Amino acid sequence: MRLKPKPGDYLILVFVIAAALMMMILTYQQETTRKIAVIVQDGEIIKRIDLNEIDKPLVIAYEGEYPGIIEAENGRIRFLEADCPDKVCVRTGWISRNGQIAVCLPDNIMIKIEGSETPTDNDTDIILR
Amino acid sequence: MKKVALNGLLISLALVLSFLERFIPLGLIVPIPGIKLGLANIVTMFALFYMGFHSALIITLLRCTLAALLFGGMSSLLFSLAGALLALLAMALLKVGYNKMFTLLGISIGGAALHNTGQILVASLMMRNTAVFAYLPILLLAAVFTGLLTATISSNLFHVLDKTSVVNQMR
Repeated sequence: MRLKPKPGDYLILVFVIAAALMMMILTYQQETTRKIAVIVQDGEIIKRIDLNEIDKPLVIAYEGEYPGIIEAENGRIRFLEADCPDKVCVRTGWISRNGQIAVCLPDNIMIKIEGSETPTDNDTDIILR
Repeated sequence: MKKVALNGLLISLALVLSFLERFIPLGLIVPIPGIKLGLANIVTMFALFYMGFHSALIITLLRCTLAALLFGGMSSLLFSLAGALLALLAMALLKVGYNKMFTLLGISIGGAALHNTGQILVASLMMRNTAVFAYLPILLLAAVFTGLLTATISSNLFHVLDKTSVVNQMR
């Protein structure tokens, strides 16, 4: 049908797209040297993996209502298998960039990649004597 | 009395649309949990434009509750209510400038964007984590497309309905 857009329509369109692009730029800008994958289940961190330190594939099984398996490689991580009904987590595929996440909503589990300038075991910035 | 019957009819129509869109595997294209077209929003828009905010609110509340009871589960009730109510509020506000500033296009896209924002807010509260906001930019772009789709369907629908006597009797 002839649905002629009015000025306000363009305003909303531009605003929504600009907001989305800005968020994307802000997320991907924080590229750091170290990538730490954090696995969070029910709001609690169950594992932290330094993705830069992995040489051979690492497999992590998790429990819960719908158990599954997470696979980590050098620089990337993914849901390999899951018993959840929708399998959205598995279809998300590998995530490898800072700020990226993979979520399994049915099981309330999430993998996120956090950047860090320092290795995981060293949270100290500087030691003053 | 006629209004009650029409409200009931619209609630069931919205429910059917909510149910049907569960079979559209949009998650295959955009792998984000729970992403959908938002077809039920067509009914919300109809109610908002032809019957008023009050009816639209009742229809939205009951549609979300019934959908959660029938096929969603309780956690999905929070999600859909947060999204649907924010969207309704946004559309009701934008409707003030209908035909002057906005058409159904802007109203529908604005509603879809707010809907998705509301869902991310609830998701971050439920997962006690702000990382889910990483999905928001993709969901906002998706809202542009789903908003365009529902606006196109709604405007065609309104166009046809305006010609029939059904709608005129109603008002």
